[in-house]
Amino acid sequence: MTDSIDLRVNGQVRHLPLDPATPLLQVLRNDLCLNGPKYGCGLGQCGACSVLVEGRVARSCVISLGAVAGRDVVTLEGLGASGRLDPVQTAFIECQAAQCGYCLNGMIMTVRGLLNHCAQPSPDQIVGALKYNLCRCGTHVEILEAATLAAELDAAGVAPGGSE
Amino acid sequence: MSVPASSVDRPPLPGDFDALPGLLRYAVVVRPPDVAFHEGRFGCSRLLDIDHASLGEWATVTTVVEIANFVAVVAADPELARQAARRLRLHWTPPPLWDDHLGVGSERSDGRGAVVDRRRTDGMVRRYGWPNRLRWGERAGWVIADVSPARASLWVDTATPEALRGDLAALLSLAPAAIDFSSERSDQEETSLGRLACDDAAADAALVSRQVGAPVAIWLDADYQRDVDALGLAETWEVAASGGHTLDALALGYGAARPAPAMALLLTGVTEPAGAPAGRPARSPYRRANPVREGDESGRASDRVRVFAEESFLDEWSRQQASDPLDLRLRHLDDRRGQALIEAVRQRAAWHPKPTPDPVEGGVGLLTGRGFAYCHLPDAKGEWESGTRSAWIADVSVDPVTGSVQLTRMVVGQDAGEPVDRAALAAALRRQLLPESTLLLRHADGIDEWGELADASPPTLPAIDALTLDAGGHALPARVPDALAPNGTADSPVTMPLRLSAQTLAPGTAAIANALFDATGQRFREPPFTAARIRAGLRESTGGDARGARAASSVGRRRWRWVGAAAASLISLGGAAAVGLPWKAAIDPVPRPAANLYSQATIERGRLVAEAGDCAVCHTASEGGATNVGGRAFETPFGTVYSTNITPDELTGIGRWPYAAFARAMRHGISRDGSHLYPAFPYTAFAKLSDTDLQSLYAYLMAQPAVASPAVDNQMRFPFNIRGLMAGWNLLYHDAKPFTPDPTRSALWNRGAYLAEGAGHCSACHSPRNALGAEKRGDDHFAGALVDGWEAPALSQLSKAPVPWSEAALYDYLRTGRAAHHGVAAGPMAPVVAGLGELPESDVRAIAHYVASFMPSAVDAAQASEIADHRLALSTATPPGFDAGERLYNGACASCHEGGDMPVYSRAETSLALNTNLHSARPDNVIQAILDGVVAPGSSAGSAGEMPGFRTDFSDSQLTALVSYLRARFAPDQPAWEHLSTTIGELRGASSP
Repeated sequence: MTDSIDLRVNGQVRHLPLDPATPLLQVLRNDLCLNGPKYGCGLGQCGACSVLVEGRVARSCVISLGAVAGRDVVTLEGLGASGRLDPVQTAFIECQAAQCGYCLNGMIMTVRGLLNHCAQPSPDQIVGALKYNLCRCGTHVEILEAATLAAELDAAGVAPGGSE
Repeated sequence: MSVPASSVDRPPLPGDFDALPGLLRYAVVVRPPDVAFHEGRFGCSRLLDIDHASLGEWATVTTVVEIANFVAVVAADPELARQAARRLRLHWTPPPLWDDHLGVGSERSDGRGAVVDRRRTDGMVRRYGWPNRLRWGERAGWVIADVSPARASLWVDTATPEALRGDLAALLSLAPAAIDFSSERSDQEETSLGRLACDDAAADAALVSRQVGAPVAIWLDADYQRDVDALGLAETWEVAASGGHTLDALALGYGAARPAPAMALLLTGVTEPAGAPAGRPARSPYRRANPVREGDESGRASDRVRVFAEESFLDEWSRQQASDPLDLRLRHLDDRRGQALIEAVRQRAAWHPKPTPDPVEGGVGLLTGRGFAYCHLPDAKGEWESGTRSAWIADVSVDPVTGSVQLTRMVVGQDAGEPVDRAALAAALRRQLLPESTLLLRHADGIDEWGELADASPPTLPAIDALTLDAGGHALPARVPDALAPNGTADSPVTMPLRLSAQTLAPGTAAIANALFDATGQRFREPPFTAARIRAGLRESTGGDARGARAASSVGRRRWRWVGAAAASLISLGGAAAVGLPWKAAIDPVPRPAANLYSQATIERGRLVAEAGDCAVCHTASEGGATNVGGRAFETPFGTVYSTNITPDELTGIGRWPYAAFARAMRHGISRDGSHLYPAFPYTAFAKLSDTDLQSLYAYLMAQPAVASPAVDNQMRFPFNIRGLMAGWNLLYHDAKPFTPDPTRSALWNRGAYLAEGAGHCSACHSPRNALGAEKRGDDHFAGALVDGWEAPALSQLSKAPVPWSEAALYDYLRTGRAAHHGVAAGPMAPVVAGLGELPESDVRAIAHYVASFMPSAVDAAQASEIADHRLALSTATPPGFDAGERLYNGACASCHEGGDMPVYSRAETSLALNTNLHSARPDNVIQAILDGVVAPGSSAGSAGEMPGFRTDFSDSQLTALVSYLRARFAPDQPAWEHLSTTIGELRGASSP
């Protein structure tokens, strides 16, 4: 244990008197009760735990709390709210891009991360971005459709998303 | 001539001089390579020839002043003058040979100077000295001279205006009255302590100014220390005594008084050295003291130096006789007023001297001591009986870590033969003591200073207690009514002069020297008592390392070079013999030093040393376990060694280790109980630590929480379980010599070498060891080695780094654990980087600079990027025949280790194609990283650099497939690793968490 670690989670500054070596995912889920990010493999392989750090997608199970001290973290909960969804969330609902839904957090956050730095991604860029996010139900086609739609909604300025 | 732009950056000129930059010239003097002033004789290399062509085009904007052996380069801009002086090539003769005397401190052989009749002195003989220049100065600044045929005006902060005036009058053939001084300092009073090198700089400036016919400025800074060293001693006194504590005879021998004039006079040969004002025959207040004088210079000796010698000697004599220094003096004084004064001072100061000085006792806290000195000097008319008696008791505290001395209290008794105003005496002391004690005691910087921690603050003013006696010696100070205080009191007695005479202050230096002896056990027979000399003295007294102390004490004594070399070789023989003895005595335990004994600054400095040395890495058994309790196992070819508990626990740790035992363990690898330690504990490197750092480290460790944790027995194979054999090992392989800077290298390199080879003990891991476990030197230094299941890569020409390391990359790596084009710090290197993160940035730069000097020729940033791009291109193609490995890689590794154009926060920054470990001859580090992951060095290091371990996720065969694939893809120009599955099996078994 060391002194408190400060970071901003979904726009709110948090003071966390925790061991800096604690994985970020555990802090988000256990200490902050943010269950959007899922525990999948714990090794950074599957992507279910993805969050945004400084607007870039990150696998929270392999990042320590200390490594994000003073940074801006956004989870699925921070992306949008009921009645004010992020365009990516709207697109995933629109395309019904979920089966069991366990990977969905990672898919949505990764697409958000992609659109944050590339407003009009090519189909290849979308595939490349989602390449290492695992889905065991075979929903890949719908997920790719949703990502494409999300880019269109984003461009049309449906609602601001990302890292506020 | 146009003034170069650099003149904008010159330090500001004082006062009015800034108004005449058009006229002002700047000079830089060039001294002969060898200069010495010894026993009144001056010698230097002689100037043969000036190669004006070496100045090239600079010759048109500079003037070279040459008078005999005095050379100066003059220009309209200080930087121009400096540059030109650097370019100017001069040819000198070799230094003259001194055929009769070797140097100060040597016994005289000719009998001429044997001032004390040795046949009658069966007792003690000591020699004391006073330097010609106490130090170069107090702070750097301009010295400016404007000399015309009729007048000379100087801006100089001299402490000895009359001596300087005499020198300049001789040098410039002017009447003394035609020379005037000005300075920023308000009091232009003379000190009796001695001259500073500003007088030499002033003479330099005056001489150059006369030659060029314009005002000339010279920058006075520590460069003038070489004049201080060269000018040597102004006076030496030999004092002898015989008899027991009855002191049959006290003989004051008079050695030499050869004050050196300003260096410019000596170099130009303009005049004979100007003598000090004629003095009077020395007279001692003590019975049976026989002042013996020799030669015609006797009248030049100053009272102050004689009193210093005599009073220091009496202190030494009383220590040898185990008698009280005050009693000894009282027994030999006939003067009743003197006796009364000493008794009064004794009472006022509550004098209880320590029976014997014992510097080690009390660990490394402040050492305290007190010293006494007395003098009786004739009055202005030369009358003895009505002269001034003065008795001083000085209290000092010495910080053994920094060597800095604080005067904590002065009790000064004065009997001037007429009623003296006590408050005025105290006020005058207050005015004069601080500048004078600053000259005597001021801290000097060294190579081993820890950046911003260096304490450059001058000594503070001690508590001053002045007391006076009336002419009859009747009124004791306690009875002096307060009504005698000066402030407007009508009937106040004779007021004190604003400045105290040299006579009044005469015993002060001896009182301080005697107090320093009481505090440290070391006798300082020549002022000034600088921090460096105190440290050197303490090193001697703690028995830690006589060689270092001798070397340090000779620093300020530069004579001809061969003298020092001869001494060093003699001493090193003695050192080897001492280390070669197999059985060492135990050092008795002492009570654990109190937690509040050490200053926070000392403990903080010790913490930095501990971080630099990574003590906790080896002395902590497991992650999350208590720090420094020991018990971590080290597999060596000779058996298993366990680290020990170095918390201050009194039973199982080092809580009862005196500092001497700690220092012996660190320098010689000998435990407190006398047994030998194995060199898995890198005392071979720690021997290079400076004493200051070692003492701070002790303070730090002793201030940590004590944790009881019994030692684990080592499991060494025969014959390595016989610890005594380590004595022979030490004789063969251990060099306990402290770090000595390489004068041919830069200060940065030397600082890096001190850190890397000392506390940092880089070579303990990065150098291979021979069959007996000793680090190989020479070309094998930093050649890489296998330590505890990890490979410490080569830092030498043998480095396997795919992109060669640059100094900048090394700095980034050591500072943050990562560097462009290189893998992150992992394994045992991660805590090293975390430790380095605590050090001042300049220290890490120094280490990088030093290590880079061993590396293959560095590449610049553009070349590095080119090599890196080439490597990346090579690694894009997936090699055929490694399908299983590729699948594992894509599933487990690629999400972080593959590029792609999307910015991912948790991606590994550096491609595996640039990872040294994948290009190494051994797969160990790659396997270790996959098994147990990579922990980022320091929580603040950033996002990447952390990697989960896959120990439980991969079978041995999967690991083999994966590692083979990594090697084939990312190091395609390297041969495949052999015996992979065996190595994987061994590492998985050996390092199971």
